[in-house]
Amino acid sequence: MIALERASLRYGDILGLSPLSFELPGGGGITGLLGPNGAGKSSLIQLLTGLLPPSGGSVRVFGAAPYRNPAVLARLGLVPEGDRYPGAFRGDRWLRMMGQLSGLEGRALDQALARTLEVTGMADRAAQPFQSMSKGMRQRLRLAQALLHAPELLVLDEPFNGLDPEGRLQLMDLLRQLAAGGTRVIVSSHILAEVAQLTDRILLLFRGRLLAEGSVPEIRELLDRHPVELRVTAEAPAVVARWAVDQPELAALRLEPGGVVLAVRSPRAFLPRLQAAVLSGELGIRALEPLDLNLDAVFAFLTKDNQ
Amino acid sequence: MPIYAPSLAPRPAPGQGQPAALVLLRFDLRRVLRQRLGKFFGFLFAAILLGLCIQLYLRHLMAGRGALEALRPLADAYLPQGARFQAGLLNEGMIAILWLQAAMVGGGLVARDTLHRIRPLIYAHPVRQRDYLLAKALFATGLPLAVMLAYIFLPWGLSLAVAGGAGPVWPTAPLYLVPAALAIAALMGAVTLGASALAGSPRSGFGWALGIMLGSSALSFILAGALGSPGWLALGLGNLTKAWPGLVLGVAGDGPGPVPVLLGTAFHLALWLAVARYRTRPDGAVL
Repeated sequence: MIALERASLRYGDILGLSPLSFELPGGGGITGLLGPNGAGKSSLIQLLTGLLPPSGGSVRVFGAAPYRNPAVLARLGLVPEGDRYPGAFRGDRWLRMMGQLSGLEGRALDQALARTLEVTGMADRAAQPFQSMSKGMRQRLRLAQALLHAPELLVLDEPFNGLDPEGRLQLMDLLRQLAAGGTRVIVSSHILAEVAQLTDRILLLFRGRLLAEGSVPEIRELLDRHPVELRVTAEAPAVVARWAVDQPELAALRLEPGGVVLAVRSPRAFLPRLQAAVLSGELGIRALEPLDLNLDAVFAFLTKDNQ
Repeated sequence: MPIYAPSLAPRPAPGQGQPAALVLLRFDLRRVLRQRLGKFFGFLFAAILLGLCIQLYLRHLMAGRGALEALRPLADAYLPQGARFQAGLLNEGMIAILWLQAAMVGGGLVARDTLHRIRPLIYAHPVRQRDYLLAKALFATGLPLAVMLAYIFLPWGLSLAVAGGAGPVWPTAPLYLVPAALAIAALMGAVTLGASALAGSPRSGFGWALGIMLGSSALSFILAGALGSPGWLALGLGNLTKAWPGLVLGVAGDGPGPVPVLLGTAFHLALWLAVARYRTRPDGAVL
């Protein structure tokens, strides 16, 4: 369904995407585009959705170049990040226009509109102007406009931004159902936990490069190689330090007034043992705080690792 | 929110449905009609037109056709029925207000899409750039044209209905004035479209459009004065729109001649449509 062969993208002198190659099969499934801000996720989405031509290499979607290609664009749906409509406009009228732009009209448009609004849970609320809608409602309408014409490929750019936990879970459920129904879904995010709950396959991007490609466990394993710094505030820091040096995941240790900073690999293995030690009364801990659990630090580590 | 198993409607066949330009045009029309600005200009033009018709009726027609026939020599001297009068149906004052309206409405057409980042989403649908530009150009041109057509056909119809061929408006006046109105509307449409494409918000689009109109007029006066040739006046958009009605009716006066007016019109159309085309290209619509 999607095939990139050394596809690159330049914005003038700035390299937005280094030459990257990958293939995604058709027939449903969810793929996550994971990377920190500025990694090139939106650039890659623009290549896939035909908004930009590649500066080098080739991009094929449904076997053809998507740039300015109505035959490809008619088969895909894009959910961009952020609002894309005049605030005073009514949601249902906006959707109607988007449906008409996709070639729907008359009864077919009415039916598609009704079904899509039902699927996205906006059947009773779409007649409001956008400015009176909550962020979650606007996000659902953004999704609805992409689903109106029943796309085979659905691309979502940071769809979970600004959604409350319940909204995220509902959106995840909906995307899973669409993927199960044969739609290939591509979701970009900078939060691993979100993508991990949703996808069977991840493309890891950093500074315009495709850093890794694989399943969630494979990516997790890769990320576990990065030592995570944890600040432990304790009544007796020396006791915590003594306990920590016996743990195989400890990479470094630094004593601070009132606590200790531990650099640990595989925190998913380390933290349950720390929890057990606290519960058994072996350690007296007042606070536990991760210092660099953001993707930027992890990606920087991986990049160093790759050089 | 209840989650239902997605069962979406079937995908439309390629090429099915309404032309994208028509869909976008309707969207812009609905957007403008909802604004207070649209209602204000509608009222203003209607009020002026009404005044014009009342004036025509009171001054020229109330005395009755029979009385005018009896006073034919006096009426001929008194009624301004010449070509200059016909050209005056598209008078300077109305054109100036029309420029203001075109700058306000047309200046926001593309700029509003830029402000709300709508264009990438539109281009992610099977919409070509020429569909997008065609919709905007039709709207930017159609709005001033509609106003001017009302100014041509209402007095013409009234004159014909009340006085027949002897009325103050020539029965053939639309044949002259409609092409002039088309040229003026095309100029206003192209300039405001180009200005709107340069702007990042409707307000700055209005500024760009007005600035281009006034700036080109000022430049044309300077060049015509410095070089001693009235032909340079055709560089100014204000002069061009003022010249067209007189030109088609053969009463151009002191303005630039037909060749400079044609060249000036072609120059502005080409320039501002090229600007709009460049600034709305799909690869410029970044997410």
